[in-house]
Amino acid sequence: MLKQLLVVTFSLASTNAFANVSVPVTGTVESKCVLATDTVGIYGNPLPNTLSTDPIDGGVIPIVRYDVLQANFYKAKITYPNTFSESPDLVDVVNWTGDVTVGEVSDATMSGYDTSKIEYNNVTEVDLTIAGSTWFKIESEAEYGYDRAFPAGTYRTVVTAECIAL
Amino acid sequence: MLSFSYCYSDETVYGSTNNAASAALNWTMANILPQQAGLTVNGVVYRYTTVKNPEDNLVVYVQNKDALGDGYVFREKDDWTGLPGNVIRKIVPVNNININRWGDGSIETEGFGTVQDASVVYTYQYDPCFQANSPGCPGYVDPLAVNITEVEVVDPLDYDYIQQEMDRKATLKDQEQEDRDRKRIRAEMKSINDRLEKALSIGNNALMIAEAQVKEAQLFAMAQIPSSYEIELLGGEYEESIIIKDSKLPDNKKMFRNNLIQQILHEELVNSQYKNKK
Repeated sequence: MLKQLLVVTFSLASTNAFANVSVPVTGTVESKCVLATDTVGIYGNPLPNTLSTDPIDGGVIPIVRYDVLQANFYKAKITYPNTFSESPDLVDVVNWTGDVTVGEVSDATMSGYDTSKIEYNNVTEVDLTIAGSTWFKIESEAEYGYDRAFPAGTYRTVVTAECIAL
Repeated sequence: MLSFSYCYSDETVYGSTNNAASAALNWTMANILPQQAGLTVNGVVYRYTTVKNPEDNLVVYVQNKDALGDGYVFREKDDWTGLPGNVIRKIVPVNNININRWGDGSIETEGFGTVQDASVVYTYQYDPCFQANSPGCPGYVDPLAVNITEVEVVDPLDYDYIQQEMDRKATLKDQEQEDRDRKRIRAEMKSINDRLEKALSIGNNALMIAEAQVKEAQLFAMAQIPSSYEIELLGGEYEESIIIKDSKLPDNKKMFRNNLIQQILHEELVNSQYKNKK
């Protein structure tokens, strides 16, 4: 039976060998995961050798919002800084620390992202298993050398947030 | 204190309430929603923070009782059981539920944990003309207004024949006015002429006096006029200076004779007529 079917198929293909037509098919995929910067971070300078986004240190914690329209299709990958994108010349080592936490949720279950998240190096990954909005707070702190004062100047760094399709 | 934010779109008013849970986790909707007939709530936006141990059970309800029956007109459940506490933000659409059904609201918890920094805001909409015969709405009739039958007002000035008659009268008036103006101008001209003549006559008299004086001087120079011409007569009474010396005037015999002859002739003439009749 499977063979017959194959023969018939071949026969039809043979009769139309000189009448091919190509029909284009196009489609647009829009991501169902949307990222938005909720709050821009600011470093405070509580000590000469410390830059910190902690409000207690005079900083502002940057916040990124993930809007997921479809659950279980995306994961959040957030990287806290480990280098300055702009700074005066530094002659010593900068020690970086940071943390990514769930700040606010649109569904109580999202609060579980804090326990289910995977952390490595300066990267945090979270499977976005619930549709809705999640606000992630990215804390960052930089210490210069061994109790060494940062040179005066402007310091900039970048937090990277990605929404990766699973 | 009630405070609302709203905007108009066509005739429908959209707005949102203040935070219903700002003072407490229970609230009366009459103090939250504007008491507008036909108002419907189309969404609830809430936010709160749970403080709990992750291993504890906690369920939070954000809800409103159904004012027209048992149960709830709105109830949203957040199950925090086994989860760490966090901040939750939620926008819950509702299907335009009428204001009459929105009973008292509250945030209730079951289990272990607390709710802090709660905010509940209702979004609503209403038609300002929902209520029949509302002021400012189409077809509004003031119930206090006296019912006066509308009378069609006809302006007589709109009729052609009245307008023509008025035009004709206006033309006549214009003509009369022209006549009056003409008479007035004529009278003024006459007055001006009279005054001019007077002025000229005064000038002529002066000229004439001057000419007479010249002529008089010429006549005197020619000795044609006696010198007494210019002598002034003295005033006063001039009495009779002739006196008759005789005291008796004698009869005039000639005149007497003459008178007698004339009398005789007269009588003869009269008698002659009778003689002819005999």
